[in-house]
Order: sequence, then structure tokens, then C-alpha cells
Amino acid sequence: MSAIFAPSLPRPRRILAIAGWAGLGVVALAVTMSDFLAHAPANELHAGPMLAPPSAQFPFGTDLVGRDLLSETLHALSVTATAGLEAAVVAILAGGFLGYMSAHLPKPAGLVLHWAFAVFAAIPALLLAIVLIGLTSRGISALAAGLAAAPLAFVRAFDRASRAGGARHADYARATGVSASMLLRRDLAYEFRDMFLPIVARAFASVTIILSTLSFLGFGATPPHRDLGLMIGAAWPNYLEAWWTAGFPALTLVILILLARLAAGLDEGERP
Amino acid sequence: MTALVEINDLRVGRQGSATPELDRFSLTLSAGETVLLLGETGCGKDAVLRLLAGSLEQDQEISGTIRFGENDPVQAATRPTNPLRVAYVPSAALHPLSPTAPVAQQLTRVIGHKLRCPQGAAREELRTALERLAGAPPIGMLDRFPGQLDNATLCWALLAAATAVTPEIVLCDHSFADISPLVARTLIGALLAEQQRLGFAVLYGGRIPQAVARLGARTIVLQRGCMIEEGEAARMMSGQTHSYTRSLFHALPQPDAGRLNRTSTRSEALLQVQGLMLQAEKKARNAISFELRRGASLALVGEDGSGRRGMARAIMGLDRRPGRILFDAVDLNLLSEAMTSRLRRRIAFVTSDDAALDPRMTLWDVIDEPLRVHLKLSRELTTGYREAALKRVGLASHDGRRLTVAALSAFDRRRLQIARAVVAAPLLVVVDEPLRGLDAVARATIRDLLAEFRLEQQAAFLVVTADFAVARALADDAMIFHEGRMIERGPVRELLRAPRESATRALIEAADFGPLSRAAEAV
Repeated sequence: MSAIFAPSLPRPRRILAIAGWAGLGVVALAVTMSDFLAHAPANELHAGPMLAPPSAQFPFGTDLVGRDLLSETLHALSVTATAGLEAAVVAILAGGFLGYMSAHLPKPAGLVLHWAFAVFAAIPALLLAIVLIGLTSRGISALAAGLAAAPLAFVRAFDRASRAGGARHADYARATGVSASMLLRRDLAYEFRDMFLPIVARAFASVTIILSTLSFLGFGATPPHRDLGLMIGAAWPNYLEAWWTAGFPALTLVILILLARLAAGLDEGERP
Repeated sequence: MTALVEINDLRVGRQGSATPELDRFSLTLSAGETVLLLGETGCGKDAVLRLLAGSLEQDQEISGTIRFGENDPVQAATRPTNPLRVAYVPSAALHPLSPTAPVAQQLTRVIGHKLRCPQGAAREELRTALERLAGAPPIGMLDRFPGQLDNATLCWALLAAATAVTPEIVLCDHSFADISPLVARTLIGALLAEQQRLGFAVLYGGRIPQAVARLGARTIVLQRGCMIEEGEAARMMSGQTHSYTRSLFHALPQPDAGRLNRTSTRSEALLQVQGLMLQAEKKARNAISFELRRGASLALVGEDGSGRRGMARAIMGLDRRPGRILFDAVDLNLLSEAMTSRLRRRIAFVTSDDAALDPRMTLWDVIDEPLRVHLKLSRELTTGYREAALKRVGLASHDGRRLTVAALSAFDRRRLQIARAVVAAPLLVVVDEPLRGLDAVARATIRDLLAEFRLEQQAAFLVVTADFAVARALADDAMIFHEGRMIERGPVRELLRAPRESATRALIEAADFGPLSRAAEAV
């Protein structure tokens, strides 16, 4: 199992990575079964008393309009994780994969692309996502978060591929008849084997932070599809007297991101 | 003669380890004496050197006694401070200096600390020590960073720093092994000259028996922490008692190893080099032209920086140089990349560069690549050829499906390169310093494998080396390079018999252990 999930990590981090993937597996199960696990459908008002603290009947308590927070958190986790996965795919395709391939273009073209993406990478990803949403609509928050995370992923993948291509073993391989396309295939095979799953996990963690922050600031998810960021944002007027309204969604978000970071082998990755 | 150090029944081990690093080791080292500790990596010589340098680790268990000079013997377990002035000369190939500070600055700091003098005075000591060593570079050259200097210059610097502190004992940890024989010989000559002048004792830890011949010193052979043989250099060179010692000395140049009865001069040309320029200034008289016939073997011999490697890199297509290079009658520079790749598949490469193989590849991947991608063989055939190649080089017992190149030792990487070359059925094999950086037994193994490879396959060999012994073992003809130019060429036997140029003679003498062998015969 460790050979699949984190073959190149040292043993302690490999164990943590496997634990991270196991945790994400549980999250995926919870997301799939959220409708079944939740006591109430999403956004059902007056499921209980207003601002009821955690109890046996309402383990996460209720919010200002009497919604069961456990059910709401499960539904919001589902929205956050689904949007995060979509955004991660966008970030990997528009960032990592494009960056990797660009490193194998003729040098001037590759450098121009690298320079262009490096300029965008210098802008904070959150700001970039807000600009993209401002120019279009709030409905594309997942796409915007993925595109905002892409420049850093591009630069990182480009640099990694350049290092691999410029390594001495690549020179020796070319000198003994290994073609450029063969070298690219070889690199991709090893990158896929060693790095693909960590890259997915890392991208997922990065875009989940962006998406949640967007929603918290009012640029992301829109009711009735509430995600964790929006839940935390909506709870701020009364979080001092009813801490559970923001505390449980925030804890869920922290655990989700922590699991993704663990699955990525505690790689720092791209910070939004 | 007064003993400087007397070690008795020393045992060094690690907590929890059943096998000690060193067991029942005794040594007496007198002033002005040279002792060579000979053995492969892990034989225990490092423990002796670390004990005398006072750098044994805290978790190491020590027993036995040690006596310094006229003092009383003390238990080694008490980790007594060595009252003698000790200088340490590490191997430059192991990068002992920080890459972020100039060499002179780092060495000056060490000298200043040992002599308890200001930095200016320490630098002056270093400058004087360099001037005393015949052949050493000026101190100005050492104001560069370690990465900007070659290993030979670093060796000179480290030796000068050692002699600058007027030591009583010099500890050499495989100091001059991974450099060209000519430079190693000059360095050892300088070390012995300084020993004559200052009267210090030298304890040299060496991995290869060439050190015995070069130092001409009393030799202690160690294997897995145990002394297995001891004797003077002449006796050791003439005949070894223990089978392990014999296997170590098998690594010494074998006059007729790899000699072939080939009729390569009648075969057609495989590689033609026409008017290749190695130096920046394009002078027609410096242009190099030669051809290598199918099945023939040519050595490019010269010191580092002499141009031999530049020539090899140009042939491999790693560097572009003015001139034409025709492989199999085709100019590689005129073809498309796809066509060049097809032709280059018939070239194999064996080098001392540990980064020559992709560290992510498994052993199987390395062997399978030429079979499946270049030769398009079926899975069954690939498996058969792979197993045969791994068995031939002695890597069959490794878990080749999972083990990656990154986890291999230098010796295993070298063997894997040979296995890859064997399965690729090349027309040309470029061999670049194939023995550098290896232990004695590993050297002998690689040399024998290459000689067998050459004997069994009709590939042409291009051998790039600074060691004439390697050229003699693997090549029929040689071209001698000096200061960026080719100065002499001819059959290896002819060059050995009657070299015309002084640089050629120096290279031959550096790799020749004849005088000591003859002395041994007399004994």
C-alpha cells in the first residue's frame, strides 16, 4: 500500500501520508453518504430550537434559525469537497501538467511561458480568484480557485521538469540514443508513480483553503448550496455566545485540510 | 626509535551491534614512520583514524589501551585527549570543505585555531607550506570556492594545511586515491619530502593497493575489523599470504589483462573524427583527426584538463565543437534528432559519474530500456537477456524489480552500467575512468568485467582515462593529451616501450609499479 501512496517519502512521513489518505477515504465516504447520515435535509429551518448548544439530540447544536448543525456541516462538507476536487483537477491540468509539458518545449517558448506564469504566480492566489470571479460570476468559484492556484503549480512543475531534463543522467541517456520523447515518457511515468497522488492531495488542500476563504468573504458558494466557508462566515455575528455555530464547521475544515496535507506527505506546496 | 603512539588490543564497536568495527587491533607508530592501513570500506581503518583524531562518536564502545609518547598507557575507553599535534588530510573527493566559503579562508581558520595565531599569520603559514610543496598551486588560487577548484588543487591545499601546523602525526584518510595517478604520485612525493623535513609520522588509510607501491610503507591489511596481514611494502608486493590480501592486490595493473588477438586494423572505420578543435583558439595544427575501426580499442589518456574528456564529450554529442564526427560513416551533426537517436543506440557508456543513471529507475528498468525501446524485444526475450546480464555482472541476487538506482553503491551502479551496455549490443563503448572511486576488489571486478565484455563482443572501445594502467588493460592504441592538445599517439605497447614526449613518460611512470616489484623480487 505504501508503494502506491507515497513511494518516495521517508518512512515516518509515509506512515502519516497513508493515514492522511485513509482519513480522506473516510471523508469521501461521509460525502457520498451525507444525505443518509444527516438527520435533516440541507437548509431545513427550525429543525430544533434556535442556538441550542451541543446535546444528545443535536450533537453539533443548532444555529440562529434552528438548523441542525451536524446535518448542515455534513452537507457543507459535501459541497466543499466536491468543489475542491473540481478545482484541484483544474489546477493540476492548467498548472502542473501544462508546466511539465512546457518545460519540454523549445527553450525560448518555454521560458516565455514560464515568465508569464511566474508573473501571475507573484499575485496572491486568493486575490487572483476574486478578480476572476469579479470579472465573471460567483457561479464559477471552483474554476476560479483552480485557475488561481494554477500559476504556482505551473512554475513548480516547470522547474521540476527542467531540473530532470537538465540532469546529467538525461544527457547520458540522449548520448546513448534515448530520444527526447522517450525521456519525456520516462519522466512522466516516474512523476506519475512518485508524485501524482501527492500532487492531487496538495492541490486539493490549496484550493480548499481558497474556496473556503472566498465563501467566507462572500465571493464563493451561494445559498442554498452552503459550504464550510459560508457556514463559518454566516456564524460570525453570534460566535461569541454560540461558539458551536462556527466552531464545528471550522474544525471540520481544519481536519479536511490537515488530512490532505498529510496525504501530500506534509509537503508545503503552494500556499494561497 | 621512540614510539609516538602505541595501541594495544583495541576494540571499537557500537551499542547493539554484534560485529565490532575493529577487533584486537594493535599498532606502534614511531616518529618519521609511515604505516598504511589497507582495506575496503568498513574494514575498520576509519575507527583507528578517528580514535587518533579524537573524533570517535559517543555511542561507540571502546576497549584496549593507548599510549601517547612517553606517557603511561591509558584505557582507550576513557577517550584520552591526544597530546600530540595531529593533522588530518581527508579525501578531496568527499567534499570535506564548505561550498560557501573560499578554500584559503576555511583552511586559514583551521590553522589559526591549531597554532593559536591570528588569521593573517595563519594565512602566511599556509602560503609558506604551499611554497614548500613542489607542484602545489599558489595561495591566490585558493581564494576561490571549493566548487571552482579541481580535486587535485584541493588535495594540494589540504596537504599544505596539514603540514603548515608542523604536526607530529599526519592522518591521511584515503587522501590521494580518486585523482589521476600522476598527481597522486606527485602529492605522495611531496608528503614524504615534508615527512623527511619535519619528522612526522604518517598513518594512511587506503582502499587500493596502489597506495602500498606509492608509499613504500609498512602495511597492515584489515578485513571486517581484523588485522589479517602485516608486512613491509616490498614483501607485500612480492607475495601475499592471506587470500583476501591477494584479492586486493589483484586490483594492481595486470600487464596482459584484456590483451586480445584482434584483426581490427583490417576492419572498416566505425568512428571518424576529422579536424576536431578542443581549444577555443582555432589553430589548424591543433585540430585532431583519427579513426576507430570496428572492434578496435583506443585510449584517450591525459591528466584532468588535458582535453581527453572534451574529446569524449564531443564524440558523445554532449558538447558541440568545431570539426566533423562520423559514426558509421554518418555525420551525426547533420541528422535530425530522431535519426541521431537511432544511430546513438549503438553507443554504450560506462562512467565513474554516479549521476549517469536515472536515480528513479529500478535495476530492471535500466536493463529493459534498451531491450524494449531500442531493440523492441518481446517480454520473454527481455526477461532472459536481463537475467543473463544481471547474473553476469553479479547483480542477480538484488531485488531488481523494486530496488532503484538511488539505493545502489558506486560499485553496483558501475556494474549496472556494464549490464546495460552488454544487453544493448553496442558498436561503440565509451568508458570514462571506469575504476575511479572504487575499492580494490571492486576495481579488479570492473576491470575484469570490461575486459571480458571486450573479449566476447566485437564492440569498439574508447577508453578515457588518466591512468595508463587502465589504458594498458583495455586498449590497443592510445592518444596522449596534454594541455588541451593531442601530443602523441600509437599502439599502447609502443608507447610503453619508447614514449617520445616527457608528458607521456610521466603518465607511464605514474602508473608503473615496476621498480618496487623488482625490488620485491630481489627480496
